[in-house]
Amino acid sequence: MVDSVRTQGLFKRFGQQVAVAGVDLVVPRGSFAGLVGPNGAGKTTTLSMATGLLRPDGGSAEIDGLNVWRDPIAVKARIGVLPEGLRLFERLSGRELLSYNGQLRGIPKAEVERRAEELLKVMDLLDSADKLVVDYSTGMRKKIGLAAALLHNPNVLFLDEPFEGVDPVSANTLEEVLRRYTASGSTVVFSSHVMDLVERLCDWVSVMSRGQIVAQGPIGEVRGERSLNQAFLDLVGASGGGGDEEGLSWLGSTQA
Amino acid sequence: MAGIDTGVSPLGMADTLRLFVRLKLKLIAGNVRGDLTRKIGYIFTLIAAVFVAALGFLAMSLVRLAPADLAADIGIIAFTVFFVGWAVVPLLAFGLDDTLDPARLSLFPLRTRQLAVGLFAASATGPWPLAVLIITAGAIVGFATGLGGVLLGVAAVLLQFALCLVTSRLVTTSLSSMLRSRRGRDLLAVAAIFIVLLAQLPNLVINRGLAGDPAALLAQVAEVLRWTPPGMAAHAMADGSLTGVAELAFLAVLVVVIGRLWIGALRRALVTADASTQAGSVRRSHGRGIGRLLPDGQLAAVVTKELKYARRDPRGRVGWLASIAVTGVLAFSLAGNSEGPSGPVLAIGPACLGALMIGLQSGNAFGIDGRSLWMNAVAYGSERSMRTDLAGRHLAAALIAGPLLALLSIVTSLFAGDLAWSVPAMLTSWGLLGVSFGIGAVTSVIFPYTTPDRLNAFTGAAPGQGGIAFLGSFGAMIGTGALSLPVVLPVLFGVTWLSVLAVPYGMAVAWAGRRLAGTIGFARFPELLAAVSKPT
Repeated sequence: MVDSVRTQGLFKRFGQQVAVAGVDLVVPRGSFAGLVGPNGAGKTTTLSMATGLLRPDGGSAEIDGLNVWRDPIAVKARIGVLPEGLRLFERLSGRELLSYNGQLRGIPKAEVERRAEELLKVMDLLDSADKLVVDYSTGMRKKIGLAAALLHNPNVLFLDEPFEGVDPVSANTLEEVLRRYTASGSTVVFSSHVMDLVERLCDWVSVMSRGQIVAQGPIGEVRGERSLNQAFLDLVGASGGGGDEEGLSWLGSTQA
Repeated sequence: MAGIDTGVSPLGMADTLRLFVRLKLKLIAGNVRGDLTRKIGYIFTLIAAVFVAALGFLAMSLVRLAPADLAADIGIIAFTVFFVGWAVVPLLAFGLDDTLDPARLSLFPLRTRQLAVGLFAASATGPWPLAVLIITAGAIVGFATGLGGVLLGVAAVLLQFALCLVTSRLVTTSLSSMLRSRRGRDLLAVAAIFIVLLAQLPNLVINRGLAGDPAALLAQVAEVLRWTPPGMAAHAMADGSLTGVAELAFLAVLVVVIGRLWIGALRRALVTADASTQAGSVRRSHGRGIGRLLPDGQLAAVVTKELKYARRDPRGRVGWLASIAVTGVLAFSLAGNSEGPSGPVLAIGPACLGALMIGLQSGNAFGIDGRSLWMNAVAYGSERSMRTDLAGRHLAAALIAGPLLALLSIVTSLFAGDLAWSVPAMLTSWGLLGVSFGIGAVTSVIFPYTTPDRLNAFTGAAPGQGGIAFLGSFGAMIGTGALSLPVVLPVLFGVTWLSVLAVPYGMAVAWAGRRLAGTIGFARFPELLAAVSKPT
């Protein structure tokens, strides 16, 4: 079976700094995959290059066996994207944003409106559907962003930090929608640094550190006997210096 | 005894002063760190500030050569202009300076008075405040009379400087909560348009010959402004007598009063809730707009979105309002000019200039979409989509500009004296618009730059992109000018029937421009996306 996402030696440098140093990301079809790594590990850069938003300096990326940079029409029809930050057309209302998105992708207007209505309902955004996106809260923006990414029923969904800054209620909605989506055999790739969340949701995990994949596979294999959090800390080589005696001696109540 | 040792002691006034000045200098240095273009930009700013300061100082001192009363009049007007400028400019440029927003400092253990002193010092630090201080000091050379005048002059300059600072602080602080809300910023962005209009005012006055005698006009204006606080400072300096002393005493009191008001406003601003989370407005999303008339698809989507943006985005509103206002002023002032050319040129010329003004807005078509453009990027899989996108933008702009230029043509031809001239004027301006669309499509993909969210009257591009923005708009202007010569020139020289060809010619250029831009733009979409997504 062809993997949903497969990159080979993906490489990107910004000025002097190498952001991604040869990433071989693999995500099997139908998995709920987590891309984890500390800040600055290159998660966002990798996802941007895999979705055709950022041109790599080297390497290749394939979606369902199709080259992202050589076959953009087929690839773009297959993927849905929620990039980092909350970059949306601010001056459209939620509903308008969805219909703009659907029409750009050539879905007939009537169909777009039907799907938009259902998505708004599932995302619990019906009350705010006619408000401008600029006035949305973080949770609402993530939800409308996800709705926009799902509108054309993509095979693979790329989400960059979808749960960051989202309240528990909205997070729960996002989770349910995503679970339903992967249950039907579609693939989700999302980046996060909340290990508990990844452990709970994902069946596949790729760990990134300093621009490279340091571990990848079914979550049970990567984790082994440890918790995912401990496995992660071991993998990225974090030194546990928080409990040391030296330094920070002034912190806390002083005994006189 | 167990206790918390914080290890800090309260800051004295001098320490506070030093701290804030250092903070401001650090902020300036931090802004230019790393990025070479920013460094170069900042060096240019410094050179400009030094140049302006030197030139301003010289100009102010040269006033001495004029008769004493004229010199005083000029001084009064200059001081008032500085004062108003200082109060308004930081507002329009809110966010250029991190020390401006007291909310950022509210968590530090500073007394309001310390905060006030610190903010005062911080806002006096920087190339531009110093440049203004130097220019103002030029007035001492310019029109102070006798030793008393010089002594009074020094006091007057310092008081004027302090007055400018506290007033501008008072204005920004009282409005700061409003400025942090989305609506407030939207409103202010549109207010920037009045600055554009204001800049046209002298032009208008001179062109219409409203004044008659400029010296008399100057005297009249100065006579009124003389009673404003900055006018008093200038007057005291020129006067040099006891009246001057009284005026300066009044100014000193005023500075203290405004200072107190400012401290009060600061105290309130620090404890008042942020209003930016207020409920947003609700729009009618099931539009029955123009998009419904178009065949379902990409084109309709882009046209609908562009028309909404022209109306809802402050930058869109400002762009269109500016074009309308400047063209209107232009038509009005050209028509009043009795000596210049006559005939159809009077109708066609302004219409064409209007078309150029509007067309230049399409010279960076993706700038306003900015960071949201990824949404198009993940949907577009071919050059054809890119062309359709540009066509949608052009169609939307034409839907607004077409009727506008028609109206302008009718108005200018009425001014010029023959309604029949409106027909060639209309046709030629529409053609020119088409040409500018074609050129603009190409510059949009070759020289894309970010249009800042927070539009201000000074920069049209994100930090570090000024050069590209300049190249883009200059290229668009030259290109449009050159390519429209074949139709515009003969029409201006009286071969008006040729204007029939203008519209098909313009459409052909627009089509060719989209074709070229589609190919270039699709190939470098990631770079385009990066260029319009710069932080502002």
